[in-house]
Parts: sequence; C-alpha cells; structure tokens
Amino acid sequence: MRGRRTSARAGRRSLRALTVGGMLATVGMAGVGLAPSSQAAVAHAKSTTITWWASPINTSGPDLRTTLIKAFEKTHPNITVKLETAPTDENTNQTDLVTTLSGGAKTPDVVMGDVVWPGLFGAHGLALPLSKYLPKSFFKRFAPGLVAGASYNGQVYGAPFFQDQGFLYYRKDLLAAAHMSVPRTWEQLRADAAKLAKENKVKYGFVWQGASYEGGTCDFMEYYGDTGASVLNATDKGSVFNVAAATKALSFMRSLVTSGASPGAVDTFQEPQAMTAFADGQAAFMRNWDYAFSTSQAKGSKVIGKVGVAPLPTFAGRPYPGYSTIGGWNLYINPHSTHVQADLTFIKFITGVQAQTIEARPPFSEIPTNQAVRTNPAIKHLNPPFAVLAQTKLISRPAQTPNYPKISQAIYANANSAISGSTSPAKAAAAIASGIKAALSSSGL
Amino acid sequence: MAAIDLTGGTSATTRRHSAPRVPRDQTTRHFARVGWGFSAPAFVVIGVFTIFPILFALVLSLENVNVTANGFSLLGGTLNNYKIMGESSLWHHALWFTSIYTLVTVAAELLLGTLFALVLERLAAGRGAMMALLLIPWSLITVISAELWSYIYNPTYGVLGEFWHAITGGSAPNVLGYPLSATIALMFADVWKTTPFVAIIVLAGLVMIPEELIEAAEVDGASSWKSFWRVTVPLLRPTLGIAVLFRVLQAFGLFDLPYVLTGGGPGTSTESLAMLGYNTMFTNIDFGPGAAVAVSTAVIVLIVCLVFLRAFRQQVGRETLNA
Repeated sequence: MRGRRTSARAGRRSLRALTVGGMLATVGMAGVGLAPSSQAAVAHAKSTTITWWASPINTSGPDLRTTLIKAFEKTHPNITVKLETAPTDENTNQTDLVTTLSGGAKTPDVVMGDVVWPGLFGAHGLALPLSKYLPKSFFKRFAPGLVAGASYNGQVYGAPFFQDQGFLYYRKDLLAAAHMSVPRTWEQLRADAAKLAKENKVKYGFVWQGASYEGGTCDFMEYYGDTGASVLNATDKGSVFNVAAATKALSFMRSLVTSGASPGAVDTFQEPQAMTAFADGQAAFMRNWDYAFSTSQAKGSKVIGKVGVAPLPTFAGRPYPGYSTIGGWNLYINPHSTHVQADLTFIKFITGVQAQTIEARPPFSEIPTNQAVRTNPAIKHLNPPFAVLAQTKLISRPAQTPNYPKISQAIYANANSAISGSTSPAKAAAAIASGIKAALSSSGL
Repeated sequence: MAAIDLTGGTSATTRRHSAPRVPRDQTTRHFARVGWGFSAPAFVVIGVFTIFPILFALVLSLENVNVTANGFSLLGGTLNNYKIMGESSLWHHALWFTSIYTLVTVAAELLLGTLFALVLERLAAGRGAMMALLLIPWSLITVISAELWSYIYNPTYGVLGEFWHAITGGSAPNVLGYPLSATIALMFADVWKTTPFVAIIVLAGLVMIPEELIEAAEVDGASSWKSFWRVTVPLLRPTLGIAVLFRVLQAFGLFDLPYVLTGGGPGTSTESLAMLGYNTMFTNIDFGPGAAVAVSTAVIVLIVCLVFLRAFRQQVGRETLNA
C-alpha cells in the first residue's frame, strides 16, 4: 500500500512536470516564451534531489516518512526528497547498507539507521562524522544522553530521529477482573501471567521477543540489567560480563515458558508476533516498544480502550522500575553523498521542533528526541507511553564498539537456546561470556 | 547438465575421431576453432561470474581485510582467517549441519523422485498435466515458499497447529522452536520443493531405457522387482549420478530456506555454511574470516563432487553410449 502511495506521488509529480512543460511549449509557440522558460531552467538547475533510505516506521494510518517529506518540501522547495524503503528486518537493512556504502555508492544520501550502528559504521567510515559539519550548538537540541549514544571515538555520527524503549503493556480489564495490580517485580508478573493463562482468562499470559535476532538482545539486556550487572567496562574495550547474573536472567526467561506464563513459541517471537497476539486479545501482558500502544488502539484491534502501559518490572528486592533497553533510530549521512549541504538541511529540519512535533502527535506517537518537544506539556499527554517516560530507567546495549554485531549475536543466539530449553541457562551464559570475549579480541567468527 | 554433457560429448567425439588415427588435418582444426568459438561466450560468463569471484574470495581469505567507505583495503597476507575459522565452534557446527542436511535431503529426494518418476512413466494419460502440477513447488521462488512454510509451521496461527489441535486437542507444537524439529522442518520443506526436480531428471533417464531390454528380461522370466533392480537401476545409474551431483551442489550451498524460515535459530542450530559466511562478512563486516568460510564451502563441495565423479566415472556423461 505504501508503495502505491509513493508511486502515486511520483505520478502526480511527473504529471505536474508535463503540465508545466505543456504550458511552456504553448507560451513558446505564442512567441513570448523565451524569458519564462529560461527562468524555469535556472530554478530547475538549483533544485537538488536527495534520497532518504528509511524502513517503514508505522504500519497503520498515514506514513510518517512521507508526511515528514511533504512538510520538508513545503518549506524547502529547492530540495526534493526521494524515499527509498529499506527492509524492515534490522539485520537485512544493515547488511544491505554495508554492501551499498562500502561499494562507494553515492545514494542513498541520508540513512535512517539503528541507534546501535555508530560504533560499526563509525569505525569503518560508512557514515559522515556529523560533528565535523555541524556546530556544537546544534546537538544541544537533543534530550540528554542521546548524542553520546550516537557517537563513537569522540565524533557524532548520527542525529537522533526518534527514541524508543521497552514498555510493559497490560490488559486493564483482565487485571481488574482478577483483582490484580500492575506488577512491579518480574516474579509477580510471571505468577499473574501464569495464573491468568491457567484459568483460561486469556490464551497467553505474557508475550515478548525471544527469537534469535537483535530484538532478543534488547529483551535480554533488560533482565540482565535488572541484576545490576553490565557488559563492557568503562573504556568499552574489555568485558565485565557477569556469568552468574546472566544465568539468573536466562533462568528467569526460561521459567516464563516452563511456568506457563509465556507460550513455548515465544522463542520464535519477534515484535510482530507479540503485537498480533496482544492486539487479538490473546495475551494479558506484553513487552514491546512505544509504537505498540497506538497499534493496539488502531482499527482492527480487539483491545481498544483496554490497554494500560507501565515501566518494566524488576527482580524482587531491586529498586523499581526495571531497566528499559534504548532503541530508536538516527539519521546518518552517506560519506559519498554529493549533496551534503542538502542532507544537513534535511537533518536539521527532521530533528527540529516542527517535524518532531509531527512525529510525536497521533497518529504517529513516536518519542521525540528534541528536548523542547519532549518537555512540552501539551505533547506529554498525547500518548500514554509518554506519560510514564519520566519514570523509566534506561539501559543501552553494548554498542560503543565496532564489534557490537558479534557481541549481540553471542547474546541473542545463546539466549534463544536457553529460552527454548535446548541449552541450560548456565551453559548459555558461559557461551555468551566467551562469545563476547572472542568478539572483543576479534578472534572468533 | 550442459557442462557434463559437453565433456561427455567432447570425449566421445574425440574418441571417434582419433579411432582411425588420421593426422589432425585442416578440417579437424577448423572444427576445433568453431567449437572454441561456440563455447567462448560460456567460458567468459563462467570466468566472470564463477571463477573470478572464487579467486577473489580466495585472495580475501588470505589477507587482513579492512572495509572502509572506499572499498576494501588489503593489509597484508595472513593465514589467521583460517585459524579463526578452524577454531570457531560456529564453523564446526555449520559444517556438521550443512553436511547432515545435504545427506538426508539428497537421499530422500532421490528415493522419492525415483518413485515419482516411475509412476509418471507408467501414466497412460495426463502425464503432462501431472508433471506441470508436480513442478509447481520447484518453480516457486524459495523465499516465497519459505514464507509459506513459516505460515504452516507458525505455532500461534499456523495451519499445522490447527490440524494438530483438531486431531489431538492439544496446543500447537512449536516446530521451529527446537533444534531437531526445526532441522526436520527445514528438510521437509526442501524435500517438498526439490523432489520434482529429481523426478523430472530421473524420468528423462527412464524414458531413454529401451523397452526391449525390459521385455527381454520379462521373457527370460524375471519378476518386475528383479527386472527393476537388474535392468532399470543399472541403466539409470548415470542419470541418478547427475541428479545427485546437482542436488549435492545445491544443498551444500543452502541459504535462503533457513534464512527466511528460522534465521539460523534456535540459537545457531540451523545456521548453514553459506549463512555463516554471509553473516560474518556483511553483519560483522569481517570480510577476511567470512571469505575463509566461503572458500572452505567451495573447497569442500569441490572435493565431494570430484570424489563422486570419480566413483561414477563409468556412468556420468555416457548415457548415450549405454543406451
């Protein structure tokens, strides 16, 4: 559908060009056409077209990407932005880009890329260091911490576009009927979810992302962070991975399946599977990103008006709330782009107040990165996840190293084995530890 | 098939020409020139798209490769990439998985394909329609059929789960969630897709067997079982050899099916050698070790095929002579 919309736009544009051409021809034939047509030619020569590589952001309603492009082109008539839809699968998206950019391609000019890419892309020179092109004052518009996350080796590579993080979604109606409160510990969540499923109040208790992919690392980091342990040392060059803490986290994740709180198939779940189950009214609790609230309230959902959102729980005995993994997307510039000035203009616009307000308002409801928009009280009340934003505690994935893909692979592949029960949590934790060590010393595949 | 026929054909021609022991006259040289002229485009294509990439991967695998925005920079020769690969449990597992996968699927496809071909050969009417039907799985792009299988296997809303629930009343099995069942599920999808290919090749071989031979066996009092094993199978061996060769080559390069269906999971239990090489190169941006994995795959499959060709030397490429 999105493709059709884009081609319709292109069609309209070419229609407009035809009309303009026709008019010019008519004027030319009338014998007075020279001046206007040469003016048009000058105006045409000045206009620049840049390509924006971005995966689909929202799946229902109007497309955020084309909405932002329209707003941009209105205020910047000399720059045309061509949207190139990137794969929705994060890993495919990254590998496609690596192939394209390392091959020296001049397009795409601007890339919407994951927040975990600065280390990898920075180390290999696959993104332009924005801090060399933009003044320090530019980066002050972002919420604290975001710029540090978009940096590698002292240079900023990404301009934060929208932030994301894990939330706990729950069914208000089911909890009220069972006289349950919103769980504040993982143990309570497990017990409540298992009880609701066992009493056939709902098909599944708790759905989340346990598949063997990047999202598995995000979910693992939340449980692991809740034990108080971290992955990399202060220099990001050495591992401080705590096997005992990881064993605790993985044992708990596995116990969600064995206790009946989560379906056995959760080890194949990515976001869409969890979202489908929850929006179909088949799950009482869900761990998901910011988009899940508006999706759960969109047409076709069976849980409209029944969904609550809270910070994620933590382990018993630890301070509430638990950690939420930071996700979200930055804008990067292709180092081979021939339109760097236009690219920077586009980035300034997208991270500015007007565009960030558009993305924060319904129906998009993305978490803005621009601090002025973020702290605007009028915005805060537009989307329930925003309201709990201030209470949440954030944890980053260990991405400040070019070896992050290997580290993440070691985490999600082994976590997935533990969740499925094919490896014991202790063995999987040890395997993660040796995988991270090998990744940091570049001595493994 | 073209390459093998070519070798067989050429050797047969040479033999026929060399038999009278006439000196290489102008006509022969002229024919040779024409022959080279006709094969040149094929050699160019093979050179550019097969030989060059393999050699380039070989070079990369023996270098310290750094990927930058301006392409590769080669920082000196090393054997370290192979050391990294050889010590990696991921590589050991991928090798084991790919080998078992190849062995099982090729054996199953050969068996089923031959059975299908025997049935097809005996079909009096509707053989064309049946063949067209049979070829549907083979003609579907693997990514598409893998997506279809993922809907079948999906434990929440999959077809398999529905059937399972209707029959046993229990909840749907999580087929792709365990290493063994995920491997079997992949093999099943592969056999479903590729058996028709084997069936068509074997059918071609069956059609070439002269009916008189079977009839003669019958006249001599051989049971149909005996005539199948003593007459049909021996005459079919060259064809079966070709089918196995093609399937081994293809199965060992397994990529798209697990990439779509399991993503290599659970864990890395269904990660094939090709996937491992791809991930190492493009996800981790480790081109040296990734190239080593790619080269190891090519070398292993080359060795297997050479051994196989040697074993079947008497048969492959001599279908016409036998007939």
